[in-house]
Amino acid sequence: RHPLATFFHLFFRVSAIITYLFCDWFSNSFVACFVTILLLLSFDFWSVKNVTGRLLVGLRWWNQIDEDGKSHWVFEAKRVPTIAASTEAEARIFWLGLIICPVIWTVFLFSTLFSLKLKWLALVIAGISLQTANLYGYIHCKLGGQTSIGRVNSRFFVTADAPKRQARRMSEDHIEEHGKTGTR
Amino acid sequence: FAGLADVSISEDILVEGEITVPVGSRSLDEDYSTLDEPVRDTILRDLKAVGKKFVHVMYPKKSSALLRDWDLWGPLVLCVSLALMLQGGSADSKDDGGPQFAEVFVIIWFGAVVITLNSKLLGGTISFFQSLCVLGYCVLPLTVAMLVCRLVLLAGSGTVSFIIRLIVVAAMFGWSTLASTAFLADSQPPNRKALVVYPISLFYFVISWMILTFTPQ
Repeated sequence: RHPLATFFHLFFRVSAIITYLFCDWFSNSFVACFVTILLLLSFDFWSVKNVTGRLLVGLRWWNQIDEDGKSHWVFEAKRVPTIAASTEAEARIFWLGLIICPVIWTVFLFSTLFSLKLKWLALVIAGISLQTANLYGYIHCKLGGQTSIGRVNSRFFVTADAPKRQARRMSEDHIEEHGKTGTR
Repeated sequence: FAGLADVSISEDILVEGEITVPVGSRSLDEDYSTLDEPVRDTILRDLKAVGKKFVHVMYPKKSSALLRDWDLWGPLVLCVSLALMLQGGSADSKDDGGPQFAEVFVIIWFGAVVITLNSKLLGGTISFFQSLCVLGYCVLPLTVAMLVCRLVLLAGSGTVSFIIRLIVVAAMFGWSTLASTAFLADSQPPNRKALVVYPISLFYFVISWMILTFTPQ
């Protein structure tokens, strides 16, 4: 159902790993390889967090800061009534990609440490952190999925950044606090 | 929604916050039924958020945009461009300033993390990533200073160019420190503000020093 999402889910991660392994063939410059891999890792993090998780397995996690400045991590899971064969395959690809790549980057970490090529250390650590963050977020979504839906149901936020969005809902909390004055 | 009858939101009232996908399997499918359109929307929205934050850094005034809608794209772009500009130049040899590039990276990110930990230990109310976001975005004036320095160095590297670079870097250092202090100091209790401000100014001082002492090979 979402072939493009599946492709992109794996594309950035695998490209980052391949570039890291074969960077000597592509370019002599350490800087170019570093920047390329870093950008690939960042795009991978963003697309897995914001797009492919949502489309392939119906899970989503994010951080929101409420009015008094406290930050909450929200983990949301879509209740899937039927499981078609294609979505099962996509889900399997999603989870495999999500789990295998951080393991590979951990292997790279040890190889960097033991071969003392320390200039790559920053990059490998960045790779591990980004990929493990997504893994942790989605596992948390998956495990806590049932309980978090009720809570998230009552929290809709309006933003002025996307006036073209069709679905605009108001938070009930905000209505009670600010409804009387009519403005926010 | 009876309570909505007397509530109206006009375009010029600043409403900020984060988009939460409406929950319910039906509405998730409704909003994101195609892959291309929503991804473009998401990308554009994130790009606009990043752009707005850059503007807020250049004209620092009390605003919650940097604080509440944090993201780390801006700091990443600034860090990479600053590290690239601080490179010596010869890209052909194996030893092409590789360690210096990673050094700049590590200094900026590790320094930002240490300052964040410091402010949290002093009892700050701001969250970890918000603080990283502000510190990263406030590197923008120094990145501009680096650009100016490189242009000035193209013209010559005598005493005059050094004085120009010194003035520019000092001004941008002041701007960075003021901008970040404007956002971060408020989250501290009043008697702790100086304790929070001095590591920030030290951090930007180290970056300014790297910029000022840069000489192309």
